[in-house]
Amino acid sequence: MIGPPLTPVSHRPHRFLAVLVLGLLAGPADVKAGLKSGDGEPEPALKVVHRPMRSDGPKSMDPVRGSTTYDNQAISQIYDTLLQYKYLARPPQLEPCLIEEMPTLSDDELTYRFKLKKGIRFQDDPCFPGGKGRELVSQDVFYSWKRMSDNDNQPKSWWLYEDTIAGLDAYRKVQNEAATFDYDAPVEGMRVINDHEFEVILVKPVQRFLWVLAMFQSCVVPREAVEKYGTRFGRHPVGTGPFSMAEEDWVAGQKMILKRNPTYREDFYPSEHEASDEALGLHLPAGKRLPLVDRVEITMFVQDQPMWLQFRAGKLDYTQVPSEYFPKAFLRRSQSLKQSFRDEGIVAHAVPLLDFIFRAFNMEDPIVGGYTGNKRALREAMHAAVDLYEFNDTFYNGLNWVYDGPIPPGLAGFPENGIAPNSLQGPDLKRARALLAKAGYPEGKGLPVIEYYTSNGSNIAEQVELFRRQLGKIGVRLLPRLLDFSTLIDAISNKRAQMFSFAWGSDYPDAENNLALFYGPNHAPGSNHYNYQNDEYDKLYQKIAVMPPGPERTEILVKMRDMVMRDVPYIGSMARTRHYLINPWLRNFKPSEDFYNWIKYMDIDESKRPNK
Amino acid sequence: MFAYIVRRLLYNIPVYLGIIFIVMAALRVNDPVWAYLGKHATQERYDQLASDMGLGKPFVQQYGNFLSDVARLDFTVESWDQPGMKVGKLLTQCLIPSLALTIPALILTTILAITVGLLSAYNRGRWIDQSLVFFSVLGMSISYLVYIILGQYFGAFWLNEWGIGIFAIEGYPESLTPSSWIHYCLLPVLISVTVALGYDARYYRAVMVEESNRDYITTARAKGASGQKILFVHVLKNAMIPIITRIMITLPFLVTGSILMEMYFNIPGMGRQLILAINAKDFPVIQVFTAIFAALFILTNIMTDVLYAIFDPRVRLQ
Repeated sequence: MIGPPLTPVSHRPHRFLAVLVLGLLAGPADVKAGLKSGDGEPEPALKVVHRPMRSDGPKSMDPVRGSTTYDNQAISQIYDTLLQYKYLARPPQLEPCLIEEMPTLSDDELTYRFKLKKGIRFQDDPCFPGGKGRELVSQDVFYSWKRMSDNDNQPKSWWLYEDTIAGLDAYRKVQNEAATFDYDAPVEGMRVINDHEFEVILVKPVQRFLWVLAMFQSCVVPREAVEKYGTRFGRHPVGTGPFSMAEEDWVAGQKMILKRNPTYREDFYPSEHEASDEALGLHLPAGKRLPLVDRVEITMFVQDQPMWLQFRAGKLDYTQVPSEYFPKAFLRRSQSLKQSFRDEGIVAHAVPLLDFIFRAFNMEDPIVGGYTGNKRALREAMHAAVDLYEFNDTFYNGLNWVYDGPIPPGLAGFPENGIAPNSLQGPDLKRARALLAKAGYPEGKGLPVIEYYTSNGSNIAEQVELFRRQLGKIGVRLLPRLLDFSTLIDAISNKRAQMFSFAWGSDYPDAENNLALFYGPNHAPGSNHYNYQNDEYDKLYQKIAVMPPGPERTEILVKMRDMVMRDVPYIGSMARTRHYLINPWLRNFKPSEDFYNWIKYMDIDESKRPNK
Repeated sequence: MFAYIVRRLLYNIPVYLGIIFIVMAALRVNDPVWAYLGKHATQERYDQLASDMGLGKPFVQQYGNFLSDVARLDFTVESWDQPGMKVGKLLTQCLIPSLALTIPALILTTILAITVGLLSAYNRGRWIDQSLVFFSVLGMSISYLVYIILGQYFGAFWLNEWGIGIFAIEGYPESLTPSSWIHYCLLPVLISVTVALGYDARYYRAVMVEESNRDYITTARAKGASGQKILFVHVLKNAMIPIITRIMITLPFLVTGSILMEMYFNIPGMGRQLILAINAKDFPVIQVFTAIFAALFILTNIMTDVLYAIFDPRVRLQ
């Protein structure tokens, strides 16, 4: 950014106008300053992916501080995990990423043995001697996981590791109480065998453990970078992933530019694919070295219109389809892509989400929280007053699945046809009013205005209005607080929000992940944003966390689902199907919202871009 | 003149100290750390943030330390909401994008509004006057959001479809050149001008009309001065005081940016940053920003007085 040209011009209107005219004549041809190198010379034919992010983006690139899907979308490009999702496999399956092969498990199902790939290097960075990235070793893995237990790092996902690795919980307690956190202190369940081999001993068989190792919070970071950059580490990521990011290439809330990591390990496009992938040519690049593009430009969009227009103008390579734009691209009845879009070579993908959309109560709040009969009646009254089908029709083109409980469609424990025996689905205003009276607030009298926190993007303001109107029918008043997503999460994590709303996308395809949202020890700032507390539920959760899948486990999942529904810590639920549109020059893209490190598989045919 | 400026600066130092005192006290009425962290934050985290900001020290000491930082323009304290980002760097990197919108918008609005004001006043009561006032009022009566939605669709997307890609739908260039400014900033500037023009034009018209009714104008007419001379030499010159006042009042707000434009056009400016900071209760950013804004306000007040004296000899620098 330069300032001087504007200053003198602005004092001389005739010169200013002249500059305007010259600029108009010049057109936007040299606007793409981003494609120029530091000395102003154009770089040779870079392959650039232009992708959107529907939020104000991450606040930190430190994996342990992350928790949202947007943190995941950014961090997963720069850091690697031990395991990753198979790119083309559906339903999701895991495969080795930083390790040679899938870990071996001892007979007692407690000890995992891992073998790291050799020759994986952290990206070059001044934090290393001579600025050359060193090789990743076993100690880095344990160091990164230990960071999750250091409260100074403000970890948002400690719950992923809690009660999992032998000795880690005790280590966490001792070190956080000590004057300084000793990362060199041993942890019983973390055994380094050599630089490339290590063992992890679990406190009990933990079903989710391998899924956790594929989550971005488990990414491996170098100690040198953390110690050199301190709090700046969140803005100065140093990873082993396919891309890297310079501090100046991240304008918070606006854009982020990632560049190919020249020291990225040997990683190849997979050959394993589904039969349906062949029609889209997704199998063709098998064996090609990754990443396939040189640069990724991520633009954050708080509003949907500019994102949609940028896609239609060919400035974005793909887009999610915001619900209000669905009728523009799809035939409403058949939900198939309109011919005009097909003629442009645009391809549509429907991605069913492991989704849990809800409007939640802070169960510690003196008004809306609590477990006594009248407290429960208040929440149940509000639930009964809400018409989720109206939300679905108005804002989601009727494409969502309205269902009972916190377990999304497709997972064990999901009620048949989405309707549980103790269904709370409304609208039933008569029942709602009766429950409200039972709660001590007949027609809402005496009930204070309830603060409702939600994010301010897309059509959220309109959704809030509908929510207010529906609750207003029984005399419940809302005071909406519309915040940026990251600020919303902070408010919820700090238990400031009385009521709040967002969507939870399952971290891995197991109902246990969603049920963990109500596990007492996970209370905020953990994933139990509701601060729900039920000892019986917690005991059952501990049981399913170690049980292998099967009918007995499913029975307990159903029981837990119904327990949560009885206490009404939220109003819900809905699950979305996300529709993606892909421009014809973007290749190899098979969208998924279960994982986000897929940019390395993307390729671009720059010759097909409209402005070429 | 120089002595006057120095004197005014010295006189305003106690004012500035008072403002900072009040601002710092006001920001501490409710504990900023608890406000940021929430009532269930851990004591360790609370202590850490409070210690980083020196909030555990006596207020007078905090006041002295902050004044010292302001005097040295040392804003190296870190944002709470964006860990690792120094407040000074955060604000300076937002400054240029904001000014890239607000300065051209101010200049264009002022030139157009004065022109409209003069024309309306000169043709008072005629169709030209009525038309100009009508369109000015119409422009300011329509919401910014309508202009933004229509501007993005027709001004950027639709024109681009026709091969006239003058304006970007959103975004901000990595390096600001005249052509990149036109591509990314001109559309939001034009929208700002469209809305602001009505307010300014009506104000300037009222000023011009008032000046037109003064005795010296009647005298000038009696002496046979042409209408154009009366308008541009006599009326405009004597209307400069209210014009300067209005422009100078606007100056400090240039750095706060244009919040809606920055949000919808994805421009990483000061207004957007300030809103994010306020929403997040990012105390270090809010405190520094307030101090800078207060300083700018005082400086523009002084500049206003100086300009009064330059443009109107009747105003003497005492």
